[in-house]
Amino acid sequence: MPTDNRRIQGPEVSTPYCLFRCSTENQGKIRSSSPDFPPVRKDGRALLEHRKIYVKTGVVSQAKGSAYIELNNTKVICSVFDPREIPNRVEYSQHGELYCVLKFAPFSCAMRRAHQQDSEEKELSLNLKRALEPAVCRHEFPNFQVDIYVLILESDGGTLAASITCAGLALADAHVPMYDLVTAASLGVVRGVLVKDPTEEEEKVCREELEGINQNHGLITVSLMGAHTQITQMWQTGSMTTTCVSESLTHLIQSCEEIYPIAQRCLVKSVVDTISKKKISEQ
Amino acid sequence: MAGVLLSEAEKTFILHGVQNDLRNDGRSKQDYRPIELEMDIVTHANGSARVRLANTDILVGVKTEIDVPKSDQPNQGKIEFFVDCSANATPEFEGKGGEDLATEISNFLRSSFASPLSFDLKTLCILKGVQCWILYVDILILECGGNLFDAVSLAVKAALHNTMVPNVETVAMDGGNVDLQLSGDPYDCWRLDITNIPCLVTLTKIGEHLIVDPTAEEEECSMASLVLAVTENGRINSICKTSVGSLHPQTLSDALKVGAEVGVGLNKALKEALAREEKRLQADKPERFGFLK
Repeated sequence: MPTDNRRIQGPEVSTPYCLFRCSTENQGKIRSSSPDFPPVRKDGRALLEHRKIYVKTGVVSQAKGSAYIELNNTKVICSVFDPREIPNRVEYSQHGELYCVLKFAPFSCAMRRAHQQDSEEKELSLNLKRALEPAVCRHEFPNFQVDIYVLILESDGGTLAASITCAGLALADAHVPMYDLVTAASLGVVRGVLVKDPTEEEEKVCREELEGINQNHGLITVSLMGAHTQITQMWQTGSMTTTCVSESLTHLIQSCEEIYPIAQRCLVKSVVDTISKKKISEQ
Repeated sequence: MAGVLLSEAEKTFILHGVQNDLRNDGRSKQDYRPIELEMDIVTHANGSARVRLANTDILVGVKTEIDVPKSDQPNQGKIEFFVDCSANATPEFEGKGGEDLATEISNFLRSSFASPLSFDLKTLCILKGVQCWILYVDILILECGGNLFDAVSLAVKAALHNTMVPNVETVAMDGGNVDLQLSGDPYDCWRLDITNIPCLVTLTKIGEHLIVDPTAEEEECSMASLVLAVTENGRINSICKTSVGSLHPQTLSDALKVGAEVGVGLNKALKEALAREEKRLQADKPERFGFLK
């Protein structure tokens, strides 16, 4: 492993202190609030209520296109750069490629993240790529690749979904030819209870299996092209019955459809802003 | 996946075959190709298996070692998957070519093993917070003839079934150090519980139809495929779309239904095959085939 001398390297082995603090106090809190997920969650939302979304395009001036998304404590920024020739490739490829890099900021999670991409980040990058590929007219730029960099500033659940929505907006903002906008949503299942857009804490509960009759548990993320009702990516972990998966799918599609107009409005606003700016400069 | 070049006419031929429920090797849409399974073929591994699914050849070895548990999961052991797409399988894997595919397969295996309902890592704990077993599952792709995910998962499940973890006799703390005493008898081992480990089922969409176990040629004809991790009792442990296309929600729910059904059948067939193979190994003079027959 090549080491990076320019950045702060932590000691080889270190343990975050919160592990020792949480073990009794905080875990107890999750447990007591989780068993049946009371109708109102910790942050005051109903079970099937999505967090409020804030989106903005054109946040990075150096990039061809960029977007920022905020779901309460989940904050993601994405920039897209001009197509360039695929490096180190001899054969000609008929379709353009998307090069996706997803990175957590070192301070984005409870545990400190390393600067080098770890396996979770690689997995998320691949999922992001798979989610965006069907929406982009890749035949328009053969033998070229579009670079998409996603940086997670703060992670509080639903990071993949937020990244997909954000990257979709950034692609549109970069004028990359696309069939449709991509929006994504996540959903958690614990003891068979469905929880829309879970926070980090809730995701943790969903990952573990809680004893009970209904053992369904897990997390699902779905991304959708709204106008064509085509699912571009579906990613699930945990353990559920097929009925539970299909039920979650219906809810997730609904969420994606709710997010779609928000993303659309954001793009329209950025176009209107550009035009009005142009007019002022002409005068 | 593998570099198969097909002309438009050949693609149409395959498509029409699928529409008539008669694929070009004579199978119907939900049939698997014949699968061969062998266990316990690598002497230095704690467990090993080889699966041959028509032209796809997978060799899996499991090594058990002792490690320190993660600080946030002190009472759990570890399991790690590593896929090696060697350039032997297809020239496309040369250099860094197979890396993406390898990461995709190992990530998917990890997420399908993540639920404590499928594989309980707590059984691998030796002393809470101090010592645990780590299972290194090394997957070697020897030949690539389509449907890698399914073949890999079958081989992994078989290899884990075959894995012998040594019994620990005593654990003592000597100051800050751990003193482990393993049993002197090399056959004094315990086996892993593999009942709820999922098998992966790849559903490939060709035209308007979903097929299982695609050949490399059929993979070339499809735009979208979905991989499901299905356990013995039909529960779904993981889902992921693996190709460039997208799917309509209706197709997806059809895929779930078909996938769960096929997955249950596959698990059952594997269980029977494992029992048969076990019997063969326990016989006095097990009939030995060549290493790679």
